[in-house]
Amino acid sequence: MITGTRKPMEEILAMIAPYRRVLVAGCGTCVAECASGGEKEVGLLASQLRMDSRLRKIPLEVGEITLDRQCVYEFIDQLTAFLEKYDAVLSLACGAGVQAVAEVFPSWVILPGLDTSFLGQTKQAGLWLENCRGCGECRLHMFAGVCPITRCAKKLFNGPCGGSQAGRCEVSPEAECAWHLILQRLESQNRLECLEEIYPACDWSRQQGRGPRRIQREDQRT
Amino acid sequence: MEPDQQFQFSVFFCQQLDPQQDLHSRELERVWGSRIRFFPMQCSGRVEALHLLKALEEGADRVLVLTCPEGRCRYKEGNLRVRKRLEYARSLLEEIGLEPLRLELRAAPAQGPRNIARILEPVLQEPWEHGPSPLRNGGVQGDLSPEGRNS
Repeated sequence: MITGTRKPMEEILAMIAPYRRVLVAGCGTCVAECASGGEKEVGLLASQLRMDSRLRKIPLEVGEITLDRQCVYEFIDQLTAFLEKYDAVLSLACGAGVQAVAEVFPSWVILPGLDTSFLGQTKQAGLWLENCRGCGECRLHMFAGVCPITRCAKKLFNGPCGGSQAGRCEVSPEAECAWHLILQRLESQNRLECLEEIYPACDWSRQQGRGPRRIQREDQRT
Repeated sequence: MEPDQQFQFSVFFCQQLDPQQDLHSRELERVWGSRIRFFPMQCSGRVEALHLLKALEEGADRVLVLTCPEGRCRYKEGNLRVRKRLEYARSLLEEIGLEPLRLELRAAPAQGPRNIARILEPVLQEPWEHGPSPLRNGGVQGDLSPEGRNS
């Protein structure tokens, strides 16, 4: 899941200041799960904006819509019927969704309402943790399903740093030590021999340095 | 009270609080008329921040959430959850400069009648320092056309 947090209100108000009709557009997938850009959050932000405009006596019309996904054309197309009525779209999707909408409607102003954060999991209600960096070279099978690139503060590939205490990371004590978890799980799976292997450094060129990454599958293309 | 000082109340209450809630809410409606609006909820834990903001947006000066006494929620922690949501809703009001204390949570007393009218009467009579909502007459007439955006 891609996570994000709503931008500060001052930033949002500054972005929409030149516009009188704003469509707040949510995304019902990742950012809905992390309670920052789904239907509820669209309702809250739209309500705030309407009240703010009344308080400051600024004419503003605020519409609401939530698409199932803002990163897939078939869903983005649902905006077509509404856009004529608005000067700008304030998207509560992740950065990918905002850009996808902006690409489909290049002559419309599409504003980001969220700061996109990380790929993560819902650890418990109201708590989301980063657990994937999208490095492009997944080795989770070797680390018992715990990513040392993401979850080890020092990004160590070949064993613990030795600084953890009671299973907590010495850099961020609120986080579990990734290597502590890896060792525990490999032991419970009788796969401790995995630790004997020396892993080469991650090939970061897959993640960075070649411009935007792409995945292309001919079987999925039309 | 002068008409312009008559406040609008929205009351979200837990239906588990009062077995005769319809009778008792009508009792208050007879006294307060259209100035009070009741929103019965199966549990106060069903109240979302959006309900509270919408109530203010639609003209309430004061929004009350009436919960079961602490530790007595039929669904264990509904009355604790709504407390957090109300705090969140207050933070959203702060962001736009509207008094957060327009949203209030009141827990029913642990002892006493299970009667929302009896519980609410003294609350409604309390002096209200925040006055009418600035949103009440805040409807803005202006040029909403795209050409008018820079006016």
